[in-house]
Amino acid sequence: MAKTGNRRTKKGKKPIRLFSKKMRGKLMLVFAGVSVLLIALIGRLMYIQYNNGEKYTKKVLSLQSYDSSKIPYQRGDIYDCNGTILATSVAVYNVVLDCTVMTDKEEYIDPTINALVECFPDLERNDLLAYARDKKDSPYIVLEKKLPYEQIQPFVEMQEAVDEKGDKINPNIKGVWFEKEYQRYYPYGTMASNVIGFTSAGDVGTTGLENYYDETLNGVTGREYGYLNSDNDFEKTVIPAEDGNNLIISIDANIQSIVEGKINDFNMTYTNNYREGEAGAENIAVLIMNPNTGEILAMAQYPNCDLNQPRDLSRYLSEEEQETMTEEEKLVWMNRIWQNYCVTATYEPGSVQKPFTVASGLESGTISDDMTFLCNGYEEVGGHTIHCVNRNGHGIETVEGSLMDSCNDALMQMSYLIGPENFTATQSIFGFGQKTGIDLPGEAYTASLVYSLENMTKVDLATNSFGQNYNCTMVQMASAFSSLINGGTYYQPHVVSKITDANGNTIQNIAPVAVKQTVSAATSEQLKKYLYNVVKTGTGKTAKVDGYSMGGKTGTAQMYDPETHLRKTGCYLVSFMGFVPYENPQLVIYTVIDQPNVEDQPHSSYAQNLTREILEEVLPYMNIYPDEEKDGANSDLTIIGTDTLINGVEHNGGAPAQGEAESEPEQSGENLPEE
Amino acid sequence: MREKTPKAKKTHATKYFDYNLLFILIFIICFGLVMLYSSSSYTASSKFGDSAYYLKRQVRAILIGVVPMIALTLIDYRFWKKWGVFAYLVSFGLCVAVMIPGVGTSSHGSARWLAIGPISFQPSELCKITMILVYAILLELTSKKLNQKWSEIKLLAVCLPVVGVVAASNLSTAIIIAGIVVGMLFVASPKYKDFLVIGLIGIAGILLFIFTVGYRGDRVSAWLHPETAGDKGYQTLMGLYAIGSGGIFGKGLGGSLQKMGHVPESQNDMIFTIICEELGLFGGICVILLYILMIWRMMVIANNARDMFGSMLVVGVMVHISLQVILNIAVVTNSIPNTGVTLPFISYGGTSIMFLMMEMGLVLSVSRGIKLEDVDG
Repeated sequence: MAKTGNRRTKKGKKPIRLFSKKMRGKLMLVFAGVSVLLIALIGRLMYIQYNNGEKYTKKVLSLQSYDSSKIPYQRGDIYDCNGTILATSVAVYNVVLDCTVMTDKEEYIDPTINALVECFPDLERNDLLAYARDKKDSPYIVLEKKLPYEQIQPFVEMQEAVDEKGDKINPNIKGVWFEKEYQRYYPYGTMASNVIGFTSAGDVGTTGLENYYDETLNGVTGREYGYLNSDNDFEKTVIPAEDGNNLIISIDANIQSIVEGKINDFNMTYTNNYREGEAGAENIAVLIMNPNTGEILAMAQYPNCDLNQPRDLSRYLSEEEQETMTEEEKLVWMNRIWQNYCVTATYEPGSVQKPFTVASGLESGTISDDMTFLCNGYEEVGGHTIHCVNRNGHGIETVEGSLMDSCNDALMQMSYLIGPENFTATQSIFGFGQKTGIDLPGEAYTASLVYSLENMTKVDLATNSFGQNYNCTMVQMASAFSSLINGGTYYQPHVVSKITDANGNTIQNIAPVAVKQTVSAATSEQLKKYLYNVVKTGTGKTAKVDGYSMGGKTGTAQMYDPETHLRKTGCYLVSFMGFVPYENPQLVIYTVIDQPNVEDQPHSSYAQNLTREILEEVLPYMNIYPDEEKDGANSDLTIIGTDTLINGVEHNGGAPAQGEAESEPEQSGENLPEE
Repeated sequence: MREKTPKAKKTHATKYFDYNLLFILIFIICFGLVMLYSSSSYTASSKFGDSAYYLKRQVRAILIGVVPMIALTLIDYRFWKKWGVFAYLVSFGLCVAVMIPGVGTSSHGSARWLAIGPISFQPSELCKITMILVYAILLELTSKKLNQKWSEIKLLAVCLPVVGVVAASNLSTAIIIAGIVVGMLFVASPKYKDFLVIGLIGIAGILLFIFTVGYRGDRVSAWLHPETAGDKGYQTLMGLYAIGSGGIFGKGLGGSLQKMGHVPESQNDMIFTIICEELGLFGGICVILLYILMIWRMMVIANNARDMFGSMLVVGVMVHISLQVILNIAVVTNSIPNTGVTLPFISYGGTSIMFLMMEMGLVLSVSRGIKLEDVDG
């Protein structure tokens, strides 16, 4: 039939020019050619797949990381009990240049660089031009780091400025963006530094509350990424960052700053006093707590650190000194300024132990109020002669008198009556040798530094009775003392009183935890009366704040040298522990001065002076009113007492009569038995 | 390969219509929309805040294109024979107009767009369909003289002004127009050798053009070493990553990771890479087979067309689509240097799809002219 058609065409009479057989053949050829090429391309696809499939799959996955971006969370703040911000996180911005965008079009480069140079004075035009020339492929060049918003604001405004039509005025500023992050900031620098602690790398709590409550303070990092949902819709999803929770702590910034100010005064006064080139004391620490709740109201120490520059030692060491130091020596120093002395340091408390020994006797019935003891100036125990404060002896001492005079001899005699069973049991009830569980990191565990019934010898019992030969921490001592004078309830000491979320809603109220009953209310009353008299007329009278009824106990402990296993000659840790007011105590204060920079160390008056100076300001602030007639007591004393020796001017000149009693050494350390 | 005399049974003839081709066309357009949405949603959403931005515009273009396509299908294609000279002049005029500064609008560095009122379109796309029309007319008129010496050269000369003007701004379109013309001439002409020469000259010309003219030079280095070619090789490399990471059956529809801003123009020239990534080697092969099927249907229509004019129209469209498919897939698989050719019916681009649909309207119109008894494989 095709033949017919062709013939007809060829005849040309009716020129329906048909598609000839030849043309069909050639079309077939074209079709075959196209098919072959397409099949070749299928082969090419297979080749790519077979040879590079795995490699390219990995490449694609590796590209994905660029697609999601992190959104930083804001770490929670730390507030004091009045809402003063002690630690916060402020947003800072890194200025990032995406050079690929800026150099995408020639007309972007100049306006962008002009704007950058104008808004950021630190940037050099030539550097930016060099980036535009040499780093065209670099999408991430950090130009400036950690600028506060005020500094990037001019640029942002310039970038976003629009005219009245809503068009951008500077549309050619391209490729600059800001990376937000948060930086920890401590508005008061050194205040409560050892309690608050600091963070490293932004959000890793290193010390203090920052460390203990790290998880609470930290939020959850947000993310921004695109994905296709089940309906194949593209969704740009932002998982917002969850900001961290805030801590509200029981510390009162005002009390804290009074305490720190006084510590500083004390330290400044005694710096270079006896030991040239040394501070006022090795360590000075003051702890104030509420005996009825266990809340810490102030916790301060020397040395401390500036939380905004925690690694800066220049406050303590000159540059030359730092240069000659090894890294290890520097680390020792840093640990000193980072540690919280009240929680992490252990020491022998000395005579502040005596009320607990008496309490043990009263509670066990082995000692009664009407007993008397003869102090002849020393006691022979297990072949050792242990001296009393007064080498000539105090004579006949009542129980109360033995505390007022801080008589070692009487206390040792009491300890025989009490016996190791009762003594160790009471020590355990008061929490010595155990952690208090305070919400601060690094609390010392002193179990191996106290005696148990099994390993306590007679000498240990005798020396423990007046606070030597075992170790405690300040927070242990203050918590135990609080229970002793509050009627016998032992509260777990704590710092954080409330946790709130980022919007300020309360998440958790941390109520006081009454852990146990340590002594009976009657024993507590009895001891309060003894301790009242210690301050009224006894060794603690230097600490008395005129017009306030208060109780307390002094302590002077000879230091033990762990290297030589001998008592250090002339090295003492002096302390005072007291409560105000006598009826219904509102505040317990415990002051420790480790090796005051004086020639003659063993006088608790250093601690008493500091305590008195602190209380004189803290008590009115806390609305604790004078409850006694003012009689001008201690009105002639300052933070240095009457000691005019300061800086070698004059020694003990014009010391009043009462000064003799307080400066009397409370114990003869050189005669302490060695372990 | 046989045909019957059309006249004898004219009155009893059952009208033929190539539903196969229509269904392939509908399928490929719908498939194209799905893939377009999948590949463009990320970019659309991040650029315009509307993941269906490109989809909506494409659907609108298709809806607009359906009207002339149906019209062309229903109108007897022989009607267009008279319009050859007019179409030639108009398209040539528009191509020249687009080069006049202020008339054409530029995009991607070359002036290719012409705005007439609210509508903007690429005259070069129009040239493809007019050239097909012009040469179908010419070849029917000169079919007897095609075995004469220089006949091809004379005929080729007709398209040179248009190809030259288009090439100035858009080399790949010029190559496609030239390819369509040569393809139609090849089918119509009884000769072989001359076309071998023409082909060689054409390839040599293209090579010369590539290496001498401006920005196309670095495309070659990007082709040979996309990894080290920096920005120029980036698109190619990202496309290859997409193809390579797809595996046999792909990551599943919508599962592409490369479309998330990595493959530039993922909804446009590079859409085939996203198809390969999401539907795998299997999907890619299916798409290619679909095109082969479409081309085969057009071959059948050309073979059985009522007259030479109809056959040549269909051949032109067939060559056009074949060339674009081959060039596009060859580019995305880095088989040839990068040049901007879209994948027919699937790639995003309003002008392109409207003119392609009009071409398909012509083909379907030709198929309507076939008497059922005439149909022969």
